[in-house]
Amino acid sequence: MRPDPQTHAQTHVRVWDLPVRLFHWSIVFLLCLSWFSADQGYMRVHLVSGLTLLALLLFRIAWGLVGSTTARFRNFLHSPRRVAEYLKGLAGGDKIFYAGHNPAGGLMVVALIAVLLAQVATGLFANDGVRFSGPLALLVSEDVSTRLTGIHGLIFDLILLLVWCHVVAVGFYLLVKGDNLIWPMVTGKKHRSYLPAELNIVFTRLYIALLLLAVSAGIAAWVMIQGDL
Amino acid sequence: MEDRAGLSGRLSAAAYFGCVALLTLAGAGLAMLARPAFAHGVLRTLGLETAPQAQSRSFYATRVAPLLETRCVSCHGARREKASLRLDSFAALLLGGKHGPVIRPGDVRNSELYIRISLPASDERAMPPSGKPPLTEDEKTVIRLWIADGASGALQTIAGAPPPVAEVKIPQDDPAAAQKQRAALAQSVRRLQARFPGTILYESRSSANLEVNASLLGSAFGDAELLALLPLQARITRLDLSGTAVTDTSAPVLAGMPALRSLRIGGSRMTQVTIAALRQARALKSLTIGSGQAGHGALAPLLEKHIAIYGGGDAP
Repeated sequence: MRPDPQTHAQTHVRVWDLPVRLFHWSIVFLLCLSWFSADQGYMRVHLVSGLTLLALLLFRIAWGLVGSTTARFRNFLHSPRRVAEYLKGLAGGDKIFYAGHNPAGGLMVVALIAVLLAQVATGLFANDGVRFSGPLALLVSEDVSTRLTGIHGLIFDLILLLVWCHVVAVGFYLLVKGDNLIWPMVTGKKHRSYLPAELNIVFTRLYIALLLLAVSAGIAAWVMIQGDL
Repeated sequence: MEDRAGLSGRLSAAAYFGCVALLTLAGAGLAMLARPAFAHGVLRTLGLETAPQAQSRSFYATRVAPLLETRCVSCHGARREKASLRLDSFAALLLGGKHGPVIRPGDVRNSELYIRISLPASDERAMPPSGKPPLTEDEKTVIRLWIADGASGALQTIAGAPPPVAEVKIPQDDPAAAQKQRAALAQSVRRLQARFPGTILYESRSSANLEVNASLLGSAFGDAELLALLPLQARITRLDLSGTAVTDTSAPVLAGMPALRSLRIGGSRMTQVTIAALRQARALKSLTIGSGQAGHGALAPLLEKHIAIYGGGDAP
């Protein structure tokens, strides 16, 4: 039975803005596309997928500085000690709720962004040794390009590991703690019972996100053009 | 997918992480199956499996491996491992890449390696890729027959295999050795260069061999002058006597020059007597004569020795 919209509005609070949600699911899609295109040898698709990832990562970094409260790094980046305390409390059964990323989740976000950036960066200089090379591969020697190609492959395994940890953590919250983190990342809204009592979320206007996205896409396009020159 | 605790929160942490551990192990197992080369690598490192070896005199080692080495290993070797495929060893070749085995012993039609090298160059999947020369028909045949005969590492010969291409080794010039060789005759060379200016030159900067162009002296160069060159005969490889006054008297001198490869006598006073004597010239490969200097009968013995004969306007 569908919940009454009025009741739903009273029980659910918007925590994630549209840019964060779109970013999250775009990354999921682009990661799958990048893997599939590389595996099947569709390297032009792989290039476009990688550059789109680059644009989105640059956007996310900027959005982490000027975006909505729950998107900002300062809101979810905590000291290692705080992360350790949070995990300790979690294991002990503590029920501490966060409107955005919890300290462990925040660490995962930063780790994934860093690793994905490293993956995109190495991909720009990589070559497949046959008929394709990254747009900036000619800026370095063949030997360096080949080494970066090897690192590009290794980082992919690291990404798989981090994604697995991420999925396991989300599953833990869902199946053990009863806190569904997936659905709010779709709708943007979360049930009040899984949120702190006091909420002060400020959402940044969408046009700023569009502006940042345009700049990020422009940088990625510029990188792509370097390969065609 | 409502976010309240109705569907969720039913598992204990221990049960959940137990399931995660099982899933992780299953995933690792699937990954091993998906990457047989990785799985075999692990088993071989643990000493649970022995890598197959090809015998050193096998058809694989003498015919297939050299071919793969020159055509494929730059992309499928230790330095690069495109598609996780290495073709630089018998074991790696049989193992295949990330898409599985590339060789199916006895089954050429389903062996990816043969399929790829047989595709037209316009096909994106063709190997070697565009920009690199495709395998010759003989090379493809070697691969095809080897796979068809079971992709063995022991079999030494395969019926119907094209003969191997002879390897030509071009000797490298050794300037130091050339200097030593030059030293032995340096005094004579200098003396004769002074006597016959501009006619005696070394073949190259890194050679002790000599080229003599006596045609520059015309009728001033006769039998006596040729005889004067005898101290250098071991090093004279090219001799141009066109238009000189050298006669058949010098035939034994010319026939005895051990290194003489190219001789030009057009317009000199030599006849078919000299040409007949040149049958004895051990190193002669090329002879240029003037029109009417010798008939076909006189030239026949030289042609039998595969000496190239040039005459008149056909001169090299």
